[in-house]
Amino acid sequence: MTWEYATPEEYGLADLLCCAASREVQDNEIVFAGTGLPMVAIMLAQKTHAPNLKLIFEAGTLDGRPPEIPTSVGDARCEMGASRASGLHDAFSIAQRGYVDLGFLGGAEVDEYGNVNTTCIGDYLNPELRLTGSGGNPDINSFAKRTVFIMVHEKRRFTPSVSYITSPGWRVKKWPGGEFVHRKELYGAAYRGGPSAVISTAGVFRFDGESGKIYLDTCHPGKMPEEIRELCHFDLDISRVSGETLPPTREELHLIHEVLDPEQIFIPKVKKGV
Amino acid sequence: MSGKRITLQQAAEIIKDGASLTFSGFTIWRRPMAIVFELIRQGRKGLHLIEVNGGPQTEFLVGAGCVDIWESCWVGHELYGKYGANLSRKVGAKEILVEDYSHAEMMFRFAAAASGAPYVATQTSLGTDIHNPAYDTLGRAGLRDGKRIPKEKYVFTDDPFFGAGPQVLVPAAKVDIAVMCVQQVGEEGTVRVSGQYYSDPEAARAADITIVMAEEIVPEEYLRRESDRNTITSFEVDYILECPYGAHPTGMFGRYDVDGAFLKDFYARTRTQEGFDAFAREWVFGHDQMSYLEKLGWPRMLSLKANTALNYSTGIKRGQ
Repeated sequence: MTWEYATPEEYGLADLLCCAASREVQDNEIVFAGTGLPMVAIMLAQKTHAPNLKLIFEAGTLDGRPPEIPTSVGDARCEMGASRASGLHDAFSIAQRGYVDLGFLGGAEVDEYGNVNTTCIGDYLNPELRLTGSGGNPDINSFAKRTVFIMVHEKRRFTPSVSYITSPGWRVKKWPGGEFVHRKELYGAAYRGGPSAVISTAGVFRFDGESGKIYLDTCHPGKMPEEIRELCHFDLDISRVSGETLPPTREELHLIHEVLDPEQIFIPKVKKGV
Repeated sequence: MSGKRITLQQAAEIIKDGASLTFSGFTIWRRPMAIVFELIRQGRKGLHLIEVNGGPQTEFLVGAGCVDIWESCWVGHELYGKYGANLSRKVGAKEILVEDYSHAEMMFRFAAAASGAPYVATQTSLGTDIHNPAYDTLGRAGLRDGKRIPKEKYVFTDDPFFGAGPQVLVPAAKVDIAVMCVQQVGEEGTVRVSGQYYSDPEAARAADITIVMAEEIVPEEYLRRESDRNTITSFEVDYILECPYGAHPTGMFGRYDVDGAFLKDFYARTRTQEGFDAFAREWVFGHDQMSYLEKLGWPRMLSLKANTALNYSTGIKRGQ
């Protein structure tokens, strides 16, 4: 594989996010895949730097190697090449048992401790908009050692407190009282980790190992740290920026568009020179 | 020969107003849509859906006003519609009660019910608003009678055996009827699911009555030749019926793909109640399964047909 980076006119934002997500995967890891761009990202990792990763689809495919990209985790395309095709009870039991290293998730809102909302906008009891609900987001986030969120970056989505905590971050509510505590305190022996990164359409964010607070790690090409801080409703720490998000390589772009998602189901092709 | 065979119309008639229901499948795969359409035609009311996850079946029943309570974790059409617009609209108008659990919690609740246990302990979703006592919808509505609906939504406790710390107890999902849609069922009720079986074995076992709609009813003896390939036991199934393409517009492993164009159209057109009503007039009311398939037409159904070597269609256009 050649590490020849593509120029800005050769890739789109979805390509950049896909490659950034792929680079979060380490070889030999067991990875829980949600529907959409993460599936492409994980399969990209499988074809590049992490050939021995094991893929779990929530609907029940274990150690999958699909020949074609599935459109959802329930898809008939998941099964072929897998170690086993079974069901959700297996997938969630395996996750609760502690096998999962990494999960990719999405969200409508995130707060500075990595709490994510996918349930509703506004007051839960009188919502402005009811969304899809949790799905497996909190489960994967509770069970996996690391989780990575992929999100559209809009100021309203990066908020000091989410409308509803669907998925647990680093500082969470202890019930029945609802006081905020560190995640470690609440999960006891089941504590394995938590959110490790947010990949937004503006940059890549990580969480402080002690406080669990979010900080900006890399800016996507063309974005400045101050500009990204302005795109958050909380006071974003930009003192730890390590540089620019690495662009896709030509090899990665080839794999995404010619091998993994030639039908452009999740990742549109950017027309060169337009 | 058992007397388990019924018609589509009879299958819907078994499901009475106010019944609690669950379904086979996963999001947009292997949902018993033909029975769902028949329930809408028959004007069923007051249903309580308890689902591991929702999908088009939820959206059709909710849009048609058949559902009073939806207890689950997710509804949408995956790639073809990002959320459940009908549920969302009815939540906004307070025309439906929604009880949120997480996906794993719903799965474990069915596993508990399927094993005859009253509850199960888990460590999922700790610290989230899913566990917020103020958001106990059925409790707020005074519906927690401790009979079919559990007395509590959650109980928080600590591991008494190994000192592993905080646990949440979730109640078994006690459900009246499971409506399944599968590839094959034998005359005595043995079910063979091909591909991922999702939460079907637990759903069928948890319910008091299990109705299985299959692409084909096959000789029981054929399934028993290789009993290790079967998914649900004969005596766990109460009623069976044959209904080819009964899962359309959802997909079925090895038989046909998801009809993405249909779901996109449904999602786009049913944001409003007027839109839903018009869609239902076009595709549900005044139809039976045969006229529905006729309206879809041969070319469309052939494009969805799965390649028998690959188990999915190579003829549909999936992307842009």
